[in-house]
Amino acid sequence: MPAIFPRWTNKIPLALGVLGPLAGVGLVLFVWVYFSPSFTDVGYRPEQPVPFSHKLHAGEMGLDCRYCHNTVERAAHAAIPPAATCMNCHSQVKIDSPKLAPVRRSYNTGEPVPWVRVHQLPDFAYFDHSPHIAAGVGCASCHGRIDTMTVVAMDQPLSMGWCLDCHRNPEPHLRPLDQVTNMSWGDSETEDTMIDALRKLAGTSAPAETAGEQQTYNYREDPERTRLPEPPVACSGCHR
Amino acid sequence: MKLRSSLLTAVGSTALAAGCQGNPFPDPPVHIIQNMDFQQRYEAQERNDLFEDGRAMRRPVEGTVARGEVHLKENDHLYRGRGPDGRLVDALPSNIVDSAALLARGEERFNIYCSPCHDKAATGHGIATTRGGGFQVQPASLHQDRLRAMPLGYFFDVITNGKGTMLSYAAQIPAEDRWAIAAWVRTLQTHGKTKGWDETTGMTTVAAAEPAAENGAQKDG
Repeated sequence: MPAIFPRWTNKIPLALGVLGPLAGVGLVLFVWVYFSPSFTDVGYRPEQPVPFSHKLHAGEMGLDCRYCHNTVERAAHAAIPPAATCMNCHSQVKIDSPKLAPVRRSYNTGEPVPWVRVHQLPDFAYFDHSPHIAAGVGCASCHGRIDTMTVVAMDQPLSMGWCLDCHRNPEPHLRPLDQVTNMSWGDSETEDTMIDALRKLAGTSAPAETAGEQQTYNYREDPERTRLPEPPVACSGCHR
Repeated sequence: MKLRSSLLTAVGSTALAAGCQGNPFPDPPVHIIQNMDFQQRYEAQERNDLFEDGRAMRRPVEGTVARGEVHLKENDHLYRGRGPDGRLVDALPSNIVDSAALLARGEERFNIYCSPCHDKAATGHGIATTRGGGFQVQPASLHQDRLRAMPLGYFFDVITNGKGTMLSYAAQIPAEDRWAIAAWVRTLQTHGKTKGWDETTGMTTVAAAEPAAENGAQKDG
């Protein structure tokens, strides 16, 4: 009597036992990596109605972030400036530039310029800029080197795990309170500014002797801080 | 053989896909797992087509003011820089203390909001005036005699309401910070470009040497 099942069917249980779990693990890894904001969101660089260059304004000209985003220290939302803020200078400079036409129209009519939002947290996450600024988290920690971006793109995933990394161990992202908007803080090329700021905090003006040694910022010993940051790590800190 | 090639394809495409991470893309991110990321809820400055003007944020009804000191701005000295007689005052409002902290605040705010045009030493040659063809009208040097004679309230008033080609900064800078800036302007005027003031005593003592401001008070800004 011939066999009902051919010989190769003997391998089916083995294949299911070995490949099945492998495929399962593979699927989990696939979703884990490719469905996460660090893959889907980082690099989002929408086209804006006005070709405003942060590289020119914040980088080359060195305008402080707060000149335009002036609510960031006081409010949850770092406001996109109204056209009136642009017109502070552009009523004098490049007054006929066609690139600025939407700004002039907005200034004259009161219709907002339809800027496209780049950084958007999930609607169930509570976020407030002001305590982050007050704690000395640099703008660049979350937004990247905006001063090098001609068109702003998302630099960090803004995912929950990414938030928690810093909430659990904020120290690497804390800086002296007057350096929050300094885009190049901690950048090795501009380390001199960093050392100067550290020296100012330490209350010493003596240069030379500390120049060679690697200095790090210790927020616990910063006299400018009236209280130490205590980032919430419980669920209700951000999901209220 | 077949298995190996399919394995290679899998590894290769994974590596390729991983290489795309962080590359700039213009279209809104696709959230594959939605998890209620986008809800019917509006945040500041968001769009809401329910309203005719498309803004989720509503303006106060015309002719109304929200309750509270900050909105009513009843304190003429603090919010308008003027005394009971309607003239510009040459003193800080009572709730703002002349101190080293005030000057530090004023310096920081001056450098953020004023220095792009007036420069950090207040000579009127800020970075914005040097780019893109320059200003049609050069920003004022705050060291000229006409401005050195002005009362403190004058600087507050100019920041609040603008003057000439300078637009109002009232929306950008809260009133308390405008006073801090005014104090810093006075300090810069008294000491020129060098920091010669006594950090422990604040502005008033150093400004006392200034051939003061009565005549400036007659004319508002």
